[in-house]
Amino acid sequence: MKKAIAVLLLALVALPVMASGSQEEAGGPETVKLSVWTREGGINHWRADLAVEAAEELNAQLKAEGSEISVEVEAYLDEGDWGNYKKKFSLAADAGEAPAIICSGHEDIPVWSRAGYIVPMGDSVQSVKALAPQFDDVIDSLWNASTWQNKVWGVPQDTEARPMYFSTTNLKKLGWDDARIAALPADMAEGRFTLDDLIATAKEAVNKGVVEPGYGYWHRPRKGGDFVQFYKAFGGDLYDAGQDKLIVDRDALVKFYDFQRRSVTEGVTPGKYIGTEWKIWHDVVSTNKALFWNGGTWMWADWAKNYAPGGEDTLWANVGFGYEPSGIRGEKGITLSHPLVYLVASEDASGNKHQDLATRLIALMSTTERNTRHAVESGHLGILKSQNDFDAYKDSKFLADVTYLLDNNFYQPNHVMYGLWFDAFWEGMVSAEQGDKTPEKAADDAIKVMKVEIEDQLIVR
Amino acid sequence: MEKEKRNLTGLWFMLPAIILVIVFFFIPVIMTIGISLTDMSSVTGFSAWKWVGFKNYIKIAQHPDSITNFIATLKYVSITLIFFNVGLGLLIAIATNHLKNSIGGFFRAAWLLPRITPPVVYVLMWSMLAADAPYGVINQLFRIPFGLSTTNWVPEYAFLFIVLVNGYIGASFGMIIFSSAIESIPKDIMISSLVDGASYSQRIRHIIIPQLRWPLLFVVTYQTLSLLTSFEYIMILTDGNFSTEVWSLWSYHKALNNYWGNFQYGFGAALAAVLVVVGTLLGIIYMKYFRFDALVQEPKIDEL
Repeated sequence: MKKAIAVLLLALVALPVMASGSQEEAGGPETVKLSVWTREGGINHWRADLAVEAAEELNAQLKAEGSEISVEVEAYLDEGDWGNYKKKFSLAADAGEAPAIICSGHEDIPVWSRAGYIVPMGDSVQSVKALAPQFDDVIDSLWNASTWQNKVWGVPQDTEARPMYFSTTNLKKLGWDDARIAALPADMAEGRFTLDDLIATAKEAVNKGVVEPGYGYWHRPRKGGDFVQFYKAFGGDLYDAGQDKLIVDRDALVKFYDFQRRSVTEGVTPGKYIGTEWKIWHDVVSTNKALFWNGGTWMWADWAKNYAPGGEDTLWANVGFGYEPSGIRGEKGITLSHPLVYLVASEDASGNKHQDLATRLIALMSTTERNTRHAVESGHLGILKSQNDFDAYKDSKFLADVTYLLDNNFYQPNHVMYGLWFDAFWEGMVSAEQGDKTPEKAADDAIKVMKVEIEDQLIVR
Repeated sequence: MEKEKRNLTGLWFMLPAIILVIVFFFIPVIMTIGISLTDMSSVTGFSAWKWVGFKNYIKIAQHPDSITNFIATLKYVSITLIFFNVGLGLLIAIATNHLKNSIGGFFRAAWLLPRITPPVVYVLMWSMLAADAPYGVINQLFRIPFGLSTTNWVPEYAFLFIVLVNGYIGASFGMIIFSSAIESIPKDIMISSLVDGASYSQRIRHIIIPQLRWPLLFVVTYQTLSLLTSFEYIMILTDGNFSTEVWSLWSYHKALNNYWGNFQYGFGAALAAVLVVVGTLLGIIYMKYFRFDALVQEPKIDEL
């Protein structure tokens, strides 16, 4: 009996050894597993699903080239928030368990490249363009977002704009005629309609009972890059590229905090508003209950599908949009774009030795047809020049109408300390809007926090 | 000789606990203090960091949020502890003890519901309760029908809400400990006090409360430390906004939750290390104040 058990154990131990040995000797077909992490399911599912589709094409190409390698893709859609997603990647990368490809915000590039988690795609935009025709097709300005310290670290996946939306129906009730409403986007773009005008109009709508008190202007209810737009709108700068340092502009910060506070004291935003549930927020803005609201282009598809009764037709009948108005009369309106990028993880971070295959997979995920499918379904803007002439993209009235916003957009800076800058910026805004601190005090405190945390990487103006 | 042997046997019995304390307390504390002396962050990763001495602690001393967050923590811990974890726990334990067993048991079980509900679901219930009009149960049932003003209650009374959310959970812990302690008071004392003419309130004051000294010490000590370090419900409810950034949540935010992904492991660890020191100091003070040694001294009978 004892003998039998010993033989059995020996066989169990020996089997895998024999199996791996035979594989090495044969040098036969190899399967490369490439995992791809992306965020958000629902309307954004193509970010991950395109990888599976592209893998089939890549395998066909590899076969045609006579390669013995085949690729197997594991696509993962994370449903958590951005902070947790990035944390998951950082920790996984440090443990050597990161995915081969991650789709994330361009601002992660400086942090993750410094930590050695990701590898550059090329030393210049030209060199990356030469890698695949799809890369050559990417809109030139988008490469700025994925460039850091003279290297290109990622391939744009999608981008967006963050318009100021308005209810055309409620403006009509307020007495605006069609011509005036039609001219509003141009007025926002050219600085004829400013943030002060926005508060004044919203206040009038509240006073005349067109909207309920507190429903004149709804900004994003939770933390997000959107708020940087209003700091910019008052002339604030974020980044000095020459010195590679972050900037905080006290004057603009005070004016921005004051705008947030005034929206409350004038009764156009609810007094206790920050932290409002997203479901409530979407429901309010997509059903004509508010007059102005600041959101993202990607929300349009969500509202049409999940909130507005009557879908996109109802939205077209009731909603208009333009640039975020400037805070300074005569200054142009702006919008923030936050391109997501596909990044390729280093071998140390992911265990993947085939960065070239990861790059090829990204190229195949970025074809005009595939990227358009994602753009149209999710309300994101395309990243390829060819999409302007691509029927499926052109047929989307919303994308066609909103793309002009990219003419005067800006990106958040690719700087390692930007996350700390932003947290202090946000906390100051919350305390000012809630009335816990005066705008001046909130700005001074935010700058103090930035100085302590960012040290010599910050320029205070 | 005999005593030494007995002590050694005692040591063997304690070994599993000692190992647990070393693995799950001392080693993490040493690691936390170690990390707090480095510049470790997302930028350096876990391999390219440098020793920076006490720089992170100097940063805490200079940080404008330190005092605000410290005061918020002090307020949160003391109010929740006094009014809920100990106060309400004691009240429920005494009240249910004076009810019929089955009814008392039912109420005690009901008070356990917040504790066994998953945190996200539990907090979601609170935020839907307090949501702005026309949503939110408070607004719909108690404000709108009476023509009263409505608001978004969590930001309006954020501090009250974090105390309530944590307090309703914390109360059940004290309730269980105090209930079983009351149950274990000898029945003859309890009954004879009434026979001798004591009222219920006199019995509570002169019999029950004095007998609860040991469980009270335990609940106060344990819950102080637990409140100091727990932040998950606050994180889900307010995420530290509206002046509810308690120290442990601040540490978590700095070390592991930056919106744009730059985690300050070193600075966050320094914040956590401060918490360890405060917790340890409080533990020692409690033990001295409640004369912990007197309570756990060996039974006199053994000395004979």
